[in-house]
Formats: sequence, C-alpha cells, structure tokens
Amino acid sequence: MSIIMRVVLLVLLCTLSVDAVRAQTPGRLILKGTVADTAGAALPGATILLSAPADSTLVSYARSGEQGAFEIKNVRRDTYLLKVAYVGFFPYQKIIEPGGETIFDVGMITLKPIVKELFEVVIRTAKAPMTIKGDTIEYNTSSFKVPPGSTVEDLLRRLPGVLVDPDGSIKAQGQDVKRVTVDGKSFFGTDPKLATKNLAADAVSKVQIFNDQTEQAKLTGINSGKKEKTVNLELKEEFKKGGFGKITTNWGLATNTGARGELKGNYNKFNEKQQFSAIGLANNTNQTGMSFDDYQDFRGSNSFNWNDDADFGFGGGGGRYATVSSDDEALGIPVGGSRGQGFSRNAAVGVNYNYDTKKTKFSSSYYYNQSRQTLAILRNRQNFLEGSSFLNSEASNQLTFGGSHRVTIRVEQMLDSLNSIIFLHNSRLTNSDASVASLQQLFNSQGAPNTQTAVDNGSFTNSLGMANTLIYRRKFKATGRTFAASATTQINNADGTQDLNSRTNFFQAPIFSIPSVQLLQDNIIATHRSQYKLSLLYAEPLTEKLFWESFYNFNLRHDEVDRSVFDRLPEQNTRVRSDTLSRYYKNNYLFNRLGTGLRYSYKGVNFAAGGAVQQFRLNGRYASSPTTPTLNTIDRIYTLFVPDVSVNVNLKNNMYIYGGYEVAAQTPGSRQLQPVTDLSNPIYISRGNPNLLPQLSHSISLGFYKFNPATFLNLSANTAYNYNINQIVNAQTVDPQTLVTRVMPVNITGGQNVVTVLNVGFPVVKTKVTLNAGPAINLSSNLTPVNGIQNMTNTQSYTMRTRLDLTPNDWFTLYANADWGISNTRYSISSSQNQRILNHNYNGDLTAKLPQNLFFNTTLNYRIYRNDRFGFAQQVTIWNMAVYKLMGKAKKAEMRLTIYDLLNRNLNVSQFAGQNYVSEERISTLARYFMLGFTYNMRGVNASIRKNRGY
Amino acid sequence: MKTCFTFLVSFLLVQYVATAQQPEGVVTYERRQHWDKILSQLSYLSQEEKDRIVNTWKNVEEDKSKWMLYFSPTQSLYTYANQGVADEAGGYSKRKEDYSIYRNFDQDQKTDLIETLGKTYIVEDSLHTPAWKILNQIKEVAGYVCMKAVTTDPIQGQTITAWFSMDLPSQAGPERYFGLPGVILELCVNDGEVVVEAIEVTLRSVSGELIVPTAKGKRISDTTYNNLLKNHITQSIKAQRNPYWTIRY
Repeated sequence: MSIIMRVVLLVLLCTLSVDAVRAQTPGRLILKGTVADTAGAALPGATILLSAPADSTLVSYARSGEQGAFEIKNVRRDTYLLKVAYVGFFPYQKIIEPGGETIFDVGMITLKPIVKELFEVVIRTAKAPMTIKGDTIEYNTSSFKVPPGSTVEDLLRRLPGVLVDPDGSIKAQGQDVKRVTVDGKSFFGTDPKLATKNLAADAVSKVQIFNDQTEQAKLTGINSGKKEKTVNLELKEEFKKGGFGKITTNWGLATNTGARGELKGNYNKFNEKQQFSAIGLANNTNQTGMSFDDYQDFRGSNSFNWNDDADFGFGGGGGRYATVSSDDEALGIPVGGSRGQGFSRNAAVGVNYNYDTKKTKFSSSYYYNQSRQTLAILRNRQNFLEGSSFLNSEASNQLTFGGSHRVTIRVEQMLDSLNSIIFLHNSRLTNSDASVASLQQLFNSQGAPNTQTAVDNGSFTNSLGMANTLIYRRKFKATGRTFAASATTQINNADGTQDLNSRTNFFQAPIFSIPSVQLLQDNIIATHRSQYKLSLLYAEPLTEKLFWESFYNFNLRHDEVDRSVFDRLPEQNTRVRSDTLSRYYKNNYLFNRLGTGLRYSYKGVNFAAGGAVQQFRLNGRYASSPTTPTLNTIDRIYTLFVPDVSVNVNLKNNMYIYGGYEVAAQTPGSRQLQPVTDLSNPIYISRGNPNLLPQLSHSISLGFYKFNPATFLNLSANTAYNYNINQIVNAQTVDPQTLVTRVMPVNITGGQNVVTVLNVGFPVVKTKVTLNAGPAINLSSNLTPVNGIQNMTNTQSYTMRTRLDLTPNDWFTLYANADWGISNTRYSISSSQNQRILNHNYNGDLTAKLPQNLFFNTTLNYRIYRNDRFGFAQQVTIWNMAVYKLMGKAKKAEMRLTIYDLLNRNLNVSQFAGQNYVSEERISTLARYFMLGFTYNMRGVNASIRKNRGY
Repeated sequence: MKTCFTFLVSFLLVQYVATAQQPEGVVTYERRQHWDKILSQLSYLSQEEKDRIVNTWKNVEEDKSKWMLYFSPTQSLYTYANQGVADEAGGYSKRKEDYSIYRNFDQDQKTDLIETLGKTYIVEDSLHTPAWKILNQIKEVAGYVCMKAVTTDPIQGQTITAWFSMDLPSQAGPERYFGLPGVILELCVNDGEVVVEAIEVTLRSVSGELIVPTAKGKRISDTTYNNLLKNHITQSIKAQRNPYWTIRY
C-alpha cells in the first residue's frame, strides 16, 4: 500500500470517527411534550409518531401517559415530522428542528375534535375511510349510495354534516358553501348550484369540504383572514369500462377446390356491471364454430358456472347418477372442435349481454350457426361371423345442412346472505336436411360379390329443444348445514320427413334366385319428448369433520312417436300406408332415487361412503297408428341398490391420492327404445327395443399426482376398472344368404375394461427444455351377440406419448410430440380374424420471431396407419407454413400469409377394430390452400410465440 | 354539542382504559385472495388475455380463509384459525401448508414456520421492521378506529396498505407484517389482490398461545428466504407459468 493511500485512509478514518462521536451522545436527544384537547383536558393514550419529513417514513413512536405527557428517548438529532393522533380528533402535525439541546420539549399540543356526528356516521356507520388533510375532510363517494342518474346535489344530501336546502343552496358544518369547484377549478362561475344540479353523481369519486380564502383574497393576494366554505368535487378517473374488438379476414386459393375465405369479428363493451358482446364468423375452410378464447370473450363472466347442476347426488353434486344417452344436438353453444372433415361452409352470429352485481347476476345470449358440409367417403368394413366373414365396401356422397338458433338465459339472485335462487333457460330451434347417395357392395368370405345396394335418401327435420331449471339453495346459521331443491322441465320435439330410394341386388348362387328389391318409401315422423325432474339435497354437520348428506331424485321421461310409413307407387302416382312399418309409440320412463351417505373432511383427507336405492319403471305401449288397437304393452320395474365410495387425500409436498367406487346408471336413449324399423340402409337394418333396461357400470378408480414446484417435476398415474351390467349393445343377425345385417339393442352383462395412464414431466434444462412422456394401456373385453352366438372381442391397446418443448430463448420455440399406438384385437367367434392395428402420429410446431416484428411458423404432422391382415397401409403428411408481421406502434394489426397443406396430401383417414369388425375409412378433405390475411385487434395482437402458458 | 363532544371523549377514554388494562388478546381475520386480479398482473400475458381473465372470472368468489393473531406488547403469533377444517363450511378439505409466524419484539427475534415450494422452512432472524409511512386517513375495522400506513415489499414488488389501531398497543400484525404503533387490523396487497381483514378482536390473556412454533424444517435466514422466493418468481415468469399458485402471495 502506498504512503499516499495510507494518508488518505487515515484522514478518512478521522472524519468518520468525528462523525461517529457527534452522532452518539450529543447527537441523541429526548423529545417530550403533552397532548390535550381544545378544552385543555389531558389526552392519555394519544399516539405520537416521529417520521422522516422527506418521505414520512416512520422513525419512532410513543404513547402519551396518564397526564397526557409523552417522552421519546434516544432520538437522533435531525429534522422530523411530528404527528399526534387520537381517535375522534384531527391529527396534529408539525415539522420540528431540534437545536443543540439534549431535551427537546415541544410543549402542549392541542388536538381539535372532529364533529361527533361526522365521525360516528362516516367512520362507524358508512365504514368509509375518511381522509383528513389539515382542516379538509374528504368523503369517498363510493360509500354513499345514490340511485343511478342522481345528481351531485342528491349525493351531497347524503353526506353527514352537509345540508342541502330545497332551493339547492348548501350548508356544510353549519356554514354556507360559497363555492363549488371541480378538480380544484371553478367551472361554474359563482353559483355553486350550477355544478351540483348538473353534474352526475357517478362521475364524482371524492367530495372535499374545506375553508378556502375568498376569491377576492386570491385575486389580490391580500389575505384578509376571512375564509369561506368550499366544496371540491374530484372526478373519477374513467371508471372501469372499456371496449375491445377484433376482426380477421383471410382470402386465398385452394388447389383442389374454389377460392377460400374466412371472416371473423367480435366486439365487447363492458363496465363494472355490464358486459355486451357480439361475434360473427363465416368461412369455407371447415371451421365450424368459435374457438374457446372466442367463447370466453363472447360469454364473459358467464363462461363458466358451477352451481348450475340441478341433479343432486353423492358428494353434493350431480352428474354421476343416471345419464341419458341422447340423440339430440346439445342445447349449449357449440365451442371448439378441430377443423372438420370433407368440405364445409360455415357461418355464425351471436350477441350476449351480462349484468352482474353482488346480489343479481343476469346473463342472456342469442347464437345462430349453420354449416353445410359435403363428404365423399370410401369405407371398407370386414365383418366377422362364426367361422366366416364378409366385406362391406362402400362409396358414398353426403350433403348435409344444419342451422340452429339458440337462446340462453341465466339469472342468479341472492335473496339474502343465506338464500339464493338460480333460473336457467336454454333453447334451440334447428332445421336440418341431408341427402345421401351411396353404393355398397358385400363380398363373401371367398371374395365373390354377394349383394349390392344403391341408396339415394333425403331428409328434412325441424326440431325444438328447451330446458328450464330452477334451483333454490339455503344455507343455515349452523355452519355446514345446507338444503337445496331443484326442478327442471325439458322438451324435445322433432318433425321430419324422409324419402328413401334404394335398389338392392343379390348375386349369390344360384344366381338371381332372390329377386332384387326396390324400396321407395316416404316417412313422416313426429317425435315429442318431455322430461320432468325434481331433486332435493340436505346436508347436516354431525361434527366439525363429519357430515351427513341425503338426497332424492325424481325423473320422468315421456316419449311419444308417431311414424307414418308410406310405400310410393310411382306407376300409379300414389302412395300406400304400410301398417307393418308405421308405428305409434308411447312410453314413460320413471326414475326414483333415494340416497344417503357420510362424509369426513379434515386436514386434506376427504372420505365419503354412501348408498342409494334406485327404481326404474318402464311403461309403454305401441300400435301401428294412434287410432289402431295396441299391438303390445310393456310394464317393467327394476329396483337396485347402488353403493358409492370416494377417497381424496391431499398429502404433504403437493402429493394427491384419489380413488373411488361408484355405480353409474344410464337409461336407454329414446331412439333405442322405439320399436321402429329403420330401412334407410337396406343392407343394415336397425330396430329399437322397447324392453331395454338401464345400463349399469361398476367402476373402481385409483390415481396419484405429485408436483414439485421447485423443480417443476410432475408425476401422475391413474387406473380405472369398469364392469358393465345390462350393457346396451347392438345384437346382429346376418342373413347367411343375402348377408343383410339386422341390428337391435339388447342388454348384455359381462363387458369390462381397464385403463391405465402414466405420465412424467420434467425440465431437462430449466425453462428451456421440457420433456413429458408416459404410456397408456387400455384392455377391454366386450360381448356382442352375432347370429345368436356371444362373440367376445378382446382388445389390448398400448399408446406411448412423448412431448418435447424447446423454449431456449424469447425468439424461438419448438414443440414436438410423438404418439405410438398399437392395438391387438381377438374375436372369439373367428380367431383367424385377429387383428393388429398401428396408428402412429408425429407432430412438430416451430415458431421464430424475426427482426422487424416478423414471425415465422411451420407445423408438420405425419401420420401412419397400418393393418397387415387387412393389407392396409396409409401415410399422411400435412405441412403448414405461415409468415406474419405485426404492424403499427401498438401492434394492433397483423398481416399474415399462410400455406395450408403444402404437400397437398390432406385426407381424413381412420381405422378401427370394433366389436366384430374392423374398418378403415378415407374422406377426401380440403387440402392445399393459400391465404393472405389481415387482423386488427383493438387490444393489440398477441405476439407470444409460446404455447402452454400457465396462469 | 359540547356535551356530545365530552361524551365522545369519555367514551373513547373508557375504551382506552379497557385496552390499557389488558393489552393482549386475539384477532380473527378473514383473508381474501382475488385470483383474477393477481393473474391479470402477470407480465407475460397479452392485454387481450388479461382482459379475458378479468371479464371471465369477475363473479367468481375470492379465495377465503380464516386466521388468528395472538398478540401481547412483546410477542405475537399468526396462524390458521383452524388448519384442518374446510374453508367453505361443509366443503372439501384441502391440506393447508404450514404457516406460523412468530415475533418477539423485546428480543428482536422472528421465527417463521413456512411451508413453501414443497419444503418446510424455519426462517429465524432479527426482526427487520418494514419502513412504514403513516398517512392521514382513518377508518373503522372490527369496531376499532384505525390509521393508515403503507410500505412496499421489494421481493414481490407489492404495495402494502395497513390499517392499525392505536387502541391496541402492540407492534403485531397479520401475515409477516408488524412494526406499527398499534395492532394491524387490516392489510391490503396492491389493489386489493389480497385483503386480510379483522372480523373479531377479543382481549384476553394469550400467554398460553404465544409459543414459538416448532416443526422439522430447514433453518434459513430472511435473506435466504427472500432469495428463494425471488428465484422462484423469476424462473416461473421466464417459463411463463404463474409463480403464485405455489407460493403465498
């Protein structure tokens, strides 16, 4: 160390120690004083605060003693802001600058009282924070409710300490208010009433009342000491409201069809209570509806509702009891879905309005969507019979149209803190038509043509679906006790016509021994279904940890079908009613359930066990028309007991174990019950079965999940086993000569399956490389009666899924995944037909952010389908590419060039091994097309290149 | 007017005397966490996504839980009102992570038992009182007139607003906050993202309850704990996942 350095250090040390000495004894002082009110009475217990004057940071504090005296010892000699506060008094504050003394006495501090009424009303009744700035008192207007449309005058009338005369003149704290300013400025001249009578109350956030110098004093600068009461109105910063919208257009050309276009726009406007939104879309690029994000923007606060389940059951909720397999289109607004197959033209428009307050939540929407789809299908299906098989080779063209109007209304009203009601209305009005032209050829085991049918069918249907639900919930003062009741009515009506035209030829030896069949038929179908439901739930806490829950469900479904079938006779130019095929059918399906159970919930351990008695009563009759004698009546009662157990344990370190045993009942769908013969496909004829019992599935499940928030490692494993009783399965009867198949749903016991899924996900390099992988195993065995013999189909399918996310920096991402699937199927009636099917799928999605707000994205999808026995092998590669640029300072606009299916290979392929068949299907679909698009988003285009972003 | 005023003063005096006799007790708080407000702060979300979150989830009830603060002029302990029972009466019971905050003002000592990020930590250090600013605003909380004070949390970048009562002379407060001339009866993080509000104050002897929490855990200092949170937040934001599902906001 050099000498100079030593000297510098020494000097530095000296100055430091001098400072230190000064900061010690002479630097410290004792601060004292007394606190009293304006009458001179001592105020014990007042708080004395000492703060730094620069930023008012608290340095030290004390409380005054019995005689109002206080003392703060060991205070560093400095300038302070001294503040004295006492409940019910204006806080006192003063800057103090101690000199050289060791005891600094601030003397007697006198606190001025706040007018009692003001204090009591504002602080204790309105519970409003009252701000005191010197002599100014500030009211927060949000604490003083006035009806919408009120003026500031109405608001002032409600403020404690303020009086407004009928003529509008204002008195505050007993004095006349001479001046009303807005944000500190006199906009309204000298008449204070001009402001208060004209300004809307909801524009004002704060009202301040204070004494100000007179206007004259301000002008002249001469302070006369005379002050006048002034009211200042502080305006709200734009209250929470806004609007946003987005519009996207894309136009382009396709290789295998005409020009393509997409147009989509939405607009939302909202404030604290209301949300209004509108959406519209039209395209011929197979996008049938809005995306999930669009749905959330459209429905706003009503996107998701949890308490709308009116079917109470085990665990307080519903859903898990008796589901109905439905043939109808859903009542809710359709959302999501991938790009459809074939070629479709789609359009939709909708409006939504929500009004939400703490007590009332109202939501309504109207949505119309329509879709016209063209499908060209090639399908091969190998069917297995005992010791033989046959092939059905089909080529068909379908043209379908569906248009639906949907209305939804939801009102939730809190009656008081313990009672609430919810009303739900959902309705749908649909008209649809379809035409199908197909040629099906059946080849026997030897590969020789056996039967051929050419079909040309058309149909029109108008349907109306509506559901109205009322749910009442009551809580009690005793914590944990709840009661709920609900009532639902549903109707589903459909009126339709079908015209069936087909010709079927039979080629088997001896050749032409069976004449060909021509079917020319008109069907007129009227279906009326109504459903009435009632549910009750009561829960009683036995202890803090143990609850007793009971419920009752009533469910009556009434079906009425009138189907008139006419054979067309073109030569006579007339048609004749067919009494053998025409049906008039009435059916009541009554379901009653009474259940009870105990639930234990404590420290993350949730265990519930219970049971219910269910009774189904099926009562129906049918005839060939409403006026003809009844052909048959059905009256069956089916009673059973169902247990229910569920376990859910939340362990330390984000570990969860869950499992359960439940029995779910599924009542047969209306169509499955109707004793109606459907001849629309003359070589595959189906008929309903009015004797069907509900299907019961016993299921046992067990799962495990663990997440480590520090390492981002997650592990999950779950397995579920199902055993079916009275499973509803289509029984097949195949005519050995013609190979025409007739199917009818029947109840069969013994089908079972077990599914196991494992997954592990972890970062290989934290925040940069993430790997997810896991197998899924599905083992199932199903029974199907084929020609009176029970065929057992055993399927083992194994899938391995892997996903790799590469997110190395903020300008490049790559998401890759590969799924390998293999399934082995064995058929008990024809072991020579055992199948092995391979379905593999590889995906890559790369995005790069280039300079100048330019982005590049490419996706590649490679799929392999193989079935060696069937001699089927298909590979499909879809390659898409897009370049887009964000424009403008706020990045609200985007230009995008997209090439879909660059290789022009798109084809919709699927293959599947079913109960006694294996099928493969190819549908020609919209392939290569180019598009140039423009998006304008009022909130800015989302420029993130990341996927799976969590929030 | 004069009589009213005297009445008020005497009323307040009585209240003061009552507190002076037994300056210890227990405060029950309701803690409310508004996820929509927290989520719409995440820096990696676009304006569109933030608006979508707020518009979709604005009606969803905030996350509610009940907490207790045992306080005396020298010590305080803040923990669950009932760790085992479900927050919503009759609802599903989630396992609640250990959280017991002990302060000894005389000995300048803290012992915080905090289970976070999959581990139990025991933060042992001197008090490190936050730098409070006292503001001229008063309001009533749970029957007590409170003054407003603000501070900032440099780790999570939050503005903390506290309402403390001069009638309860102890430095105690909920969560990890303390150091004001009276017990903090309401705590508000940012724009109400989390609000911890006293619903009941009972004055009684709490010497039995004021014990240092013990559990197996890793002993760390304030700095280590702060770094742990800081790292987690930085990494999660970088990986574009919400850090606040797994730590206390």
